[in-house]
Amino acid sequence: MSKFLLLAFRNVFRNRRRTIMTLLMVAGGVTGLLLSGGFFAFMIDGLREHTIQEGLGHLQIFTAEHSRRDEVRVLDTGIDNWQQVAEAIKGGPHVRGIAPRIDFYGMVSNGSKSSVFMGSAVDPVAENSLGFTPRLSSGHDLSSKPDGEVEALIGSGLAKAMHVKVGDVLTVLAVTSDGALNGVDVQIAGIVKTGYDEMDARYLRIPLSSAQRLLQSERVTNLVVGLDNTSNTDAAAAAMVPRLKGLPQQMVLKKWIDLASYYLQVRNMFSGIFLFLGLIVFFMVLMASVNTLLMAMFERTREIGTMLAMGTPRPWIVALFMLEATLTGCLGALAGVLGGNLLAFVINVSGLRMPAPPGLTVPIAFHVLHIPALMIGSSLIVVASLALASILPAIRASRLQIAEALAHV
Amino acid sequence: MDAIVRVESVTRSFQLSHDRKQPPVSALDDVTLGVHSGEFLAIAGPSGSGKTTLLNLIGSIDQPTSGRVLIEGVDTSRLGPGRMAALRREKIGFVFQTFNLIPVFSAAENVEYPLLISGVNSRERRERVADALDSVGLSARAGHRPDLLSGGERQRVAVARAIVHRPALVLADEPTANLDTHNATQLIDVMHGLNRRLGLTFIFSTHDSRLLEHTDRIVRLCDGAIQSDSLKEGGLREQVPALSVS
Repeated sequence: MSKFLLLAFRNVFRNRRRTIMTLLMVAGGVTGLLLSGGFFAFMIDGLREHTIQEGLGHLQIFTAEHSRRDEVRVLDTGIDNWQQVAEAIKGGPHVRGIAPRIDFYGMVSNGSKSSVFMGSAVDPVAENSLGFTPRLSSGHDLSSKPDGEVEALIGSGLAKAMHVKVGDVLTVLAVTSDGALNGVDVQIAGIVKTGYDEMDARYLRIPLSSAQRLLQSERVTNLVVGLDNTSNTDAAAAAMVPRLKGLPQQMVLKKWIDLASYYLQVRNMFSGIFLFLGLIVFFMVLMASVNTLLMAMFERTREIGTMLAMGTPRPWIVALFMLEATLTGCLGALAGVLGGNLLAFVINVSGLRMPAPPGLTVPIAFHVLHIPALMIGSSLIVVASLALASILPAIRASRLQIAEALAHV
Repeated sequence: MDAIVRVESVTRSFQLSHDRKQPPVSALDDVTLGVHSGEFLAIAGPSGSGKTTLLNLIGSIDQPTSGRVLIEGVDTSRLGPGRMAALRREKIGFVFQTFNLIPVFSAAENVEYPLLISGVNSRERRERVADALDSVGLSARAGHRPDLLSGGERQRVAVARAIVHRPALVLADEPTANLDTHNATQLIDVMHGLNRRLGLTFIFSTHDSRLLEHTDRIVRLCDGAIQSDSLKEGGLREQVPALSVS
């Protein structure tokens, strides 16, 4: 068997120029897949962590009622005693911190103009401890101990629409839990640029205590849990479920992936693009290789005839051609993995940046991740492609008429 | 003693034209021939006389249009492709006019190939390859690839490859056609020596007078038919009167 492998290996390098061209094609395909896949993965990973760090957290706890129905009145499906819930899950495996949140809606006014907002009320201390820091374009984050004026962060689009800057005052209007209209003046502490234009036009954030006063409720919408690492989400969730049982309100735990619909859409889109690229590479290698291998078979007609004349079983001829193609694929894949990683390294250290994609306002880094699974997957694609490409030439070779093959010039 | 090869009323014709209305061209016409073990037999004749076709049929790499070929009593026309390949692997050694060595293998590896496909273990392979190369005087060139060997050396490697698996029969198609006189003489000596020493049966096609001088029996073909079958004095067939020649 080793001699047979040796024969296949030597045959690969028989026509060096042609082999090098084939290897370059295969390696180019693998390199292309590694660079595109590595960049996509970087963007998807970045989007995942960005989504989590922007405030989604790794886990969120809601009341079961909240999952079952929409609010009829403000916070009527909220958590009554969030401190008790937080106490129950504090100290669980991988838990780094817990932050209460209120989601609310209303209008802001500068006295002469008003606009709608999507507000979130947060505990600045808890948010900071989890590293959920808003992306400020000016000003500062909400103070831990506000004195005097109620502070607020607003989105850059909203600030532009309201013609306000840091230090200016806006009036926030919202419906209370009793259904009455209430208002509070807020001083703009900072202006936020989330990276999404639509979000920036509606963004408002105020301290939790101020929101509770505004909405006249002690409830919160949910608790956001931050973990030490995203990869521990499943383990942490599994450990947390029993701790949530036996509380006065029935609770529901949701993982970040269940809440990150935009992330999922982007990931699915990139997966689709990558699959398409993989198919292109697969068929490109397949078509080019069939031609090359048929040429190799044609050139070796007399030799194959000789081998058959000596009594070589025809399946051995098929196996030999397929082995040669598979070896070529493996060598090409190896060259592609080396080349792809080298190019990725050069790109990463060069610090290139890509223009901001649609929906984002900041340019993104052109960084390529080195992903072992991608290397294996890309290699398998080209090896499978070459092995498949060799079937037709291999079968043709094995079916040669010996006498005709021996007379081949 | 039974014949090792029996060719019985064999005809082989080829449809050369795509037009099926055109009659096929006959390469061999009702040929009958018997060859005994240990013979050193030449098939002679001009180009196109059917020498290679007859060798191909005896070597089971082609099938007769009619008639039958028996190798050690086995009718090759009744064998399927797998058993036919096994018969060639076990019973027959081939030497080709253009050597037909595997270019990426060394001389020793080329000689080893028939043993490899027969499933002989590596230790026995090594020993038999060394013996075979020694018998053709090429032990010192064992590690050389074909492109580093002379024409004569390549053909001797081909002979070693043809005998290494101890076949019942060695078929050689114009083995000296591409060799100069010196190398041709050397090759003839080697083949003749193997025939005498090991009792190997050699059947070869040739129109090389140097080779014909050394043969015990010459079968002359012309236009696909046996024109004559002559035996030197003391040739093997004299002791075996049962063979039919047409």
